Amino acid sequence: MSQVGSGREQLLSRAFVGLADTLVDDYDIIDLLDRLVGYSVELLAADAAGIMLVDSRRSLQVVASSHEDADVMELMQLEADQGPCVECFRTQAPVSVPDLIDAAGRWPVFVAAVESRGAYRSVHALPLRLRGEAIGAMNLFHRQPGTLPEADLALGQALADVATIGILSERAVRRGEVVTEQLQTALNNRVIIEQAKGVLAHRGNLSMNAAFDRLRRYARSRNALLSEVARQVVETDLATDVLATRVAPSKAVDQR
Amino acid sequence: MVGSVRVAEPGSVAQAMLALARDVGGNHELAEQICRVCVLGLDVDGAAISLLTASASRETLWASDATAELLEDLQFSLGEGACIEAALTGRPVLVPDLQLSTQTIRWPIFAAAVMEQSDVGALFALPLQWGTINLGVLDMYRTAPGSLNGAQLRDAISAANMAALMFLGVRTDPGDGQWLDHSLHGRAEVHQATGMVLVQLGVSATDALARMRAYAFVEQRLLSDVAHDVVSRRLCFTQDMV
Repeated sequence: MSQVGSGREQLLSRAFVGLADTLVDDYDIIDLLDRLVGYSVELLAADAAGIMLVDSRRSLQVVASSHEDADVMELMQLEADQGPCVECFRTQAPVSVPDLIDAAGRWPVFVAAVESRGAYRSVHALPLRLRGEAIGAMNLFHRQPGTLPEADLALGQALADVATIGILSERAVRRGEVVTEQLQTALNNRVIIEQAKGVLAHRGNLSMNAAFDRLRRYARSRNALLSEVARQVVETDLATDVLATRVAPSKAVDQR
Repeated sequence: MVGSVRVAEPGSVAQAMLALARDVGGNHELAEQICRVCVLGLDVDGAAISLLTASASRETLWASDATAELLEDLQFSLGEGACIEAALTGRPVLVPDLQLSTQTIRWPIFAAAVMEQSDVGALFALPLQWGTINLGVLDMYRTAPGSLNGAQLRDAISAANMAALMFLGVRTDPGDGQWLDHSLHGRAEVHQATGMVLVQLGVSATDALARMRAYAFVEQRLLSDVAHDVVSRRLCFTQDMV
């Protein structure tokens, strides 16, 4: 499943340069996590990736995903209250499931849901840990069954750790605030981004994936905060500008 | 396997809020009950809830005592303070010790006035919001300085989230008298549909949500199902609907 050799090294250095760039400037967590899931998909040859964070009620919430289908996989687990991502969060340990069909005994409700409306066959879940406390999980999804090599899992965990570092060093923490509030803000920003996707999807007759891609590329091309652009799409007429801006599509997103 | 993802009994304050009667009258009565629950369940001496709107108008719905009311009045007359910062930034503003100038540097006049006119030692202002919708701020104070601990902070933030959904529930009530379900926060489709409907009708996010709730109520369907139909483009809202 993995790519080897210099192709990946190039991708890797590009990813770390990109992330380091993000961490220096003013940034919001959702933007960082969105970049991370994008890099994870590229580097680990995954078909999709998603990140879930714990909220103030200690419930998991989906905050970033490379594809709407990854959202669905994570929501199915939250509804069933079982599955690899949920278990990874509870145990604070990686959970690898090369083929979900074989896991029907372990998570019957979730696997049944996957069989009826899931898009992926294998899941690798990596914990986001902070001082011994679980704050979420990063999940890698593949359409075909298979095991990820150890080296890929280690790289995946490194990316998950970058997410944790990013959450810790975001500006609010520098103001002396704590992680609970950070996550709160991130979750609210996620709501704003979803609303903005809806605005763009309807006005531009786009799929949600394509709408998010437009939003993301518009924000990045202007070095603007994703959540701020999203807010303006919802509250002002910025959608017109976003939809009129043509930028080369990023390859990680399909243009259904 | 340890615990459960939803282990997490919501804290005592959030529990108490869940138990609030669904037929709480209007905003004032709701604010009063929420403030009472917070003062009882959290390590604070007083609480107030103010609504803030985009037009910079404000209305204090309820304050648990004279000090809580003074804090609201001061910051609205001075135009600065923890509550206003929370409303503007959408972030919680926690000030465990008002005497420390590093914590009050963003609103020095307000901080000086509070110290001069009251015995408040710590302030916690939590925004009540739902995406782009700012409903107001839950303000709490304690005379003794000191932080809320991790569990108390989580409980306070849960309480603020729940309060936001309750006020939004009142504002978008189609007549069923139901609060909005807390789990709605995690439903991306409800937010995406809100964005689509606000374009379809040319209204605000709040009104878009209200129209979807009204439709769900009339059709006797779940809001999440209606949202799913909107996102899958099986349902498009028009002016003459509902």
